[in-house]
Amino acid sequence: MFEYALSVMIFLPILAGLTLFLFPFSDSASRISGFIVSIVVLFLGIELFLGFSGSGAMEYAESKAWIESLGIRYSLGVDGISLLVLMAGAILFPMVFTIFSTRSKGFYANLLITQGAMIGAICATDMVLFYIFWEIMLLPIFFMIGIYGGPNRLPATVKITLYTISGSLLMLAGLVYIGVSYHEQFGRWTFDIVELSNLKLSGGFAVLAFFMFMIAFAIKIPLFPFHTWLPDAYTEAPSSTTFVLSAIMAKIGVYGVIRFIVPIFAIELARFAILLAFAGVIGMMYCGLAAIAQKDMKRMLAFSSASHMGIIALGVFCMNVQALTGCLFQIAAHATSTGVLFLFIGLMEERMQTRNIADFGGIAYRAPIFATFFAIAMLASVGLPGTSGFIGEFLIILGAIKFSGFIGFLAGTSLIIGVCYMLWMFQRVFFEKSGEGTEKFQDLSLSEALTFLPVILLILAMGIFPQPFIKKIEPTAQLHIAEMTMMAQKQLADTRLPIVVDTHQKN
Amino acid sequence: MIQDYLILSVILFCLGILGVVTRRNVFTVFMSIELMLNAANLAFITFSRLHESMNGHVLAMMVMAVAAAEAALALAVVILLHKHKSKLDTNVFSLLKG
Amino acid sequence: MEHTVTYLGFIPLLPLLGAVVIGLLHMFTCKKTPLPELFYGALACIGPVLSFFLALVVFFQLKGLPAEDRFLTHNVFTWFAVGDLHVDMGFLADPLSSLMLLFVTFIGSLIHIYSVGYMAGDENFGKFFSYLNLFLGSMLILVLGSGPVVMFVGWEGVGLCSYLLISFYSKDTDNVLAGNKAFIVNRIGDLGFVLGMSVLFWAIGASGFDYLSLKANVAGIPPGVGVAVCLLLFVGACGKSAQIPLYVWLPDAMAGPTPVSALIHAATMVTAGVYMVARFSFLYAHYPVAGSVVAWVGILTALLAAIFGMFQKDIKKILAYSTVSQLGYMFAGVGVAAYSAGIFHVFTHAFFKALLFLGAGSVIYALHHEQDIWKMGGLKEKLPKTYMTMLVGAFALAGCPPFAGFFSKDEILFSALATGHTGIWLIGVLVAGMTAYYTFRMIFLVFHGTPRVQESFDHAHEPPAVMTVPLIILAVGALFAGFLNLPGIFGGNLNVSHWLAPSLLEHHPHVSVWFELLAIATSVAAFAIGITLAYKKFGQGATEPEFTGFAKFGYHKFYVDEIYNAVFVQPYKAFGSVISRFLEPNVTDLHIKLSTWLYQKAGTAFKVFQVGYVRIYAIYMVIGLSLMSLFLSQTIK
Repeated sequence: MFEYALSVMIFLPILAGLTLFLFPFSDSASRISGFIVSIVVLFLGIELFLGFSGSGAMEYAESKAWIESLGIRYSLGVDGISLLVLMAGAILFPMVFTIFSTRSKGFYANLLITQGAMIGAICATDMVLFYIFWEIMLLPIFFMIGIYGGPNRLPATVKITLYTISGSLLMLAGLVYIGVSYHEQFGRWTFDIVELSNLKLSGGFAVLAFFMFMIAFAIKIPLFPFHTWLPDAYTEAPSSTTFVLSAIMAKIGVYGVIRFIVPIFAIELARFAILLAFAGVIGMMYCGLAAIAQKDMKRMLAFSSASHMGIIALGVFCMNVQALTGCLFQIAAHATSTGVLFLFIGLMEERMQTRNIADFGGIAYRAPIFATFFAIAMLASVGLPGTSGFIGEFLIILGAIKFSGFIGFLAGTSLIIGVCYMLWMFQRVFFEKSGEGTEKFQDLSLSEALTFLPVILLILAMGIFPQPFIKKIEPTAQLHIAEMTMMAQKQLADTRLPIVVDTHQKN
Repeated sequence: MIQDYLILSVILFCLGILGVVTRRNVFTVFMSIELMLNAANLAFITFSRLHESMNGHVLAMMVMAVAAAEAALALAVVILLHKHKSKLDTNVFSLLKG
Repeated sequence: MEHTVTYLGFIPLLPLLGAVVIGLLHMFTCKKTPLPELFYGALACIGPVLSFFLALVVFFQLKGLPAEDRFLTHNVFTWFAVGDLHVDMGFLADPLSSLMLLFVTFIGSLIHIYSVGYMAGDENFGKFFSYLNLFLGSMLILVLGSGPVVMFVGWEGVGLCSYLLISFYSKDTDNVLAGNKAFIVNRIGDLGFVLGMSVLFWAIGASGFDYLSLKANVAGIPPGVGVAVCLLLFVGACGKSAQIPLYVWLPDAMAGPTPVSALIHAATMVTAGVYMVARFSFLYAHYPVAGSVVAWVGILTALLAAIFGMFQKDIKKILAYSTVSQLGYMFAGVGVAAYSAGIFHVFTHAFFKALLFLGAGSVIYALHHEQDIWKMGGLKEKLPKTYMTMLVGAFALAGCPPFAGFFSKDEILFSALATGHTGIWLIGVLVAGMTAYYTFRMIFLVFHGTPRVQESFDHAHEPPAVMTVPLIILAVGALFAGFLNLPGIFGGNLNVSHWLAPSLLEHHPHVSVWFELLAIATSVAAFAIGITLAYKKFGQGATEPEFTGFAKFGYHKFYVDEIYNAVFVQPYKAFGSVISRFLEPNVTDLHIKLSTWLYQKAGTAFKVFQVGYVRIYAIYMVIGLSLMSLFLSQTIK
């Protein structure tokens, strides 16, 4: 019955979005239909998660010939790497339709198309298909920020679009290089990710292609120093769009690294892992420090999000099972914590017409339920044990220690850096004396509370019972690391390059 | 023998180019373009004859049809241009200047 | 031998459940009609009291087992398992944790009962008890956890609760700042703990990451790594247990309600560090170097805090520094590998410090939130029960025989002397004298002499029974707890030490009786000198002196807070500003700025060709086409 679940999850939202564009729906009708579509996707996602066996291989696979002359296929599948990213995309989405006052039809249409494209990018197992969804993903984002964003939306839109497009074009060039290399080595065309991992790449061109891919993903993640589009875009975008950007789209960057770079460019990754890991931790510290100097809550959270992404990306570059699993777990955990915080800030902005931290104060007395929810999400984002944030962060730090003690130490400082700006913000906004504006601050309404309750429970569940989630992703992570180690060593033996893969011998 | 037709076609084409490049009146430019099209037509017919195939004729007919359509559009554009600036000098229309 | 007992998990679960239930009730009712206080109070006390009875059950069940087989476990579920790392949400009760369990739940329960009286009339009554239960539950997870990761859950949990409770009166910015400070400083320590844990895992954790497996595999750890692990874990202990250089949060933690201070200082939180070192005694015992670092940091902290304590005028601050100082003793104890002595001091300290704090709470309550000891005086007539009980606590803290503090402190000092740490012993004796001095300075100023502020004196009255009964129970404990571990010289046989022996790895050095007598005599002498000095200076009623010279320096705590602020906090903030105002727009964005600039320049350069005349474009086209034709005609040939 769920044979075509993935295709439905991709094309139902896209088609619904296009239908909204083409036919005259009223704003609230489009909001409701968007909600229904996202609920359908949510149920498919839950079914899929429950039915997922966690064997390590691709499940729910679909494959149809598409452009046969080039060996491009329409092939989809889910494994432990994509599972939690997919869940983040499928489960959290209905929230953006239930809270906030109604926006225009086009906004909801764009949201739906984004969802479909993101799920497509997550499930695609053909590189060309992935690339296509990857590009489609950007379009609705462009419109959402450009049309519905804040006062300085235009520069932000131009920046995010040009940034990501230039990255994508680099990736396209790398893609062509990979396809051609495969054709040269094996005499036929394919862009299937499993087959491509047999490629043996070496020499300067491979390094170049590696960086082409890496920069594309680094921009999306964003990895230091390619993060400069993020504060502007996150701040100017409408809160629901920011939520989508931070909770799901940024994760697709990390996912791309794991899915495409690790198997194909194993040897190059091993070679530059230290450099990239430094980019990760420096980004974490840099953005974390920048966050404390922000006056705008949303901008602060944008920096905080970038800071966390640095740590998540580090999980990939450490190349051991613990760090990789931590990274995959943290992808979902971060979506539930920081992503949801963006929605909370959207709510506050809607109520107060301001995001300035100095304008708030004493909300904890006016809105105890809201304050409790916010506090739980905040504590998850600083990685308190018992919330979803801890498991991933701990595993990543643990893995980083094995990779390099120094990097592990730097990664550990995120424990301190995160808590500094978060507490500072929490103090200003929720404690202290209430000002004029916050005197009448409304607590969560029933529908809002019901929207957030499942996510808050999910945060706690993922912190207290993480094993059901980890059990599904860990076998793939094991397999991935094992394959990568094997590939790197085999290639080393084949080419006898004077490269030291010090990451695996050093125990 | 048959090359003469081709040479004539080339001469016509070059005249057309010269007309487009040097003349400033929109109509003259337009006529020069027509001249180039007809030069191409002549070449088609010549090659058709040379290869004893009807393909060139078909193309020539199509070029004529396109030329007619183009003339209809172009004249409308010229009228709009004239309405806009009351002049038919191509130097006046330089909005694309960087 | 079956060691699994399923009720173990309920010990932390009961207070946690209480916290959730009370929290939810409070959250949904506080804006409408709050529920009656008695209801919250009763609900809050159920969990801790039941946990205490379960702790008793654990204790007696352990007692029934043969000494070397004394441990009970309960692995509730697999928390997470990745690769070699396998972490169970499991609990372990052995002699060490059962002792901790007993007094944590006992004193915790008493503080809960006391708080029902102390917090009466507070608008956030429910919230307070929710946090209090959460605090106790976290501490119980910390104590009972079967491995370092589970311990870390409680470890962070108590950090969070201390934040919530210190900033409980959150309308006042200073209180919130104190809470932030506690959380952040604790987090610095937690970084050490996480790093230590990770290093430990990669060294020997692959075949099981709980205490029992780690203990079994400890031989496999390389010496350098072992010392590193010990020191990293000790950084964590420094944060939690307020040792140099991370002690600064504890005195500020006085911002919370007084029962919270009692809870933080006596039963939960600060003792966690000592407990952790004792828990890892199988590791520390192998690395005397690390142990010495622990001991020296501990004794120096004891000295520093005692100096600060001598000059404070806030009654709670005096007690706070005395806690820091006593914690220093405990670390000195565990540092010189006298783990049972250290833990025993934790045990006795819990009684008399809870007593002193709750007593101070009574005084503050009676005087309507007056905390300055220079505004008190002569209160022994007005608050006789409080006075008597606090006097017992003061004697215990000062180390007067035969009160509880004397035996435990003496055990530590004697161990330091016996293991050859003469320097530590000397400083310890000095600090003992100072402790007696500042403790009785407080007692004399508060209860003796004449009232300094007549008005508040007149309004003072003994608090209700719900507050005084816990005081009396604690006073009994402070009086007699010491006899549980009576050393041989007084005819006892170190019951507690023997009880703890299976959990700890320690050797009792054998030295002559004279040596032991010397140690006892010096500490009694130090106590006597301290109390005499205090009596001479403050016994007959004194007026508030102007602080000058060293006293001023001590009163301002050597300006450590200011130095930290200038060296760490301000640069941190400044760095953040520099990044967001200068680096982010000007430097990090450079590669983007550069490429846009290049594009613009290139565009300007090519602009020359865009003349705007159609015919010029035609010329370009002709030229281009001609060149292409030429090229093609050349190549096709």
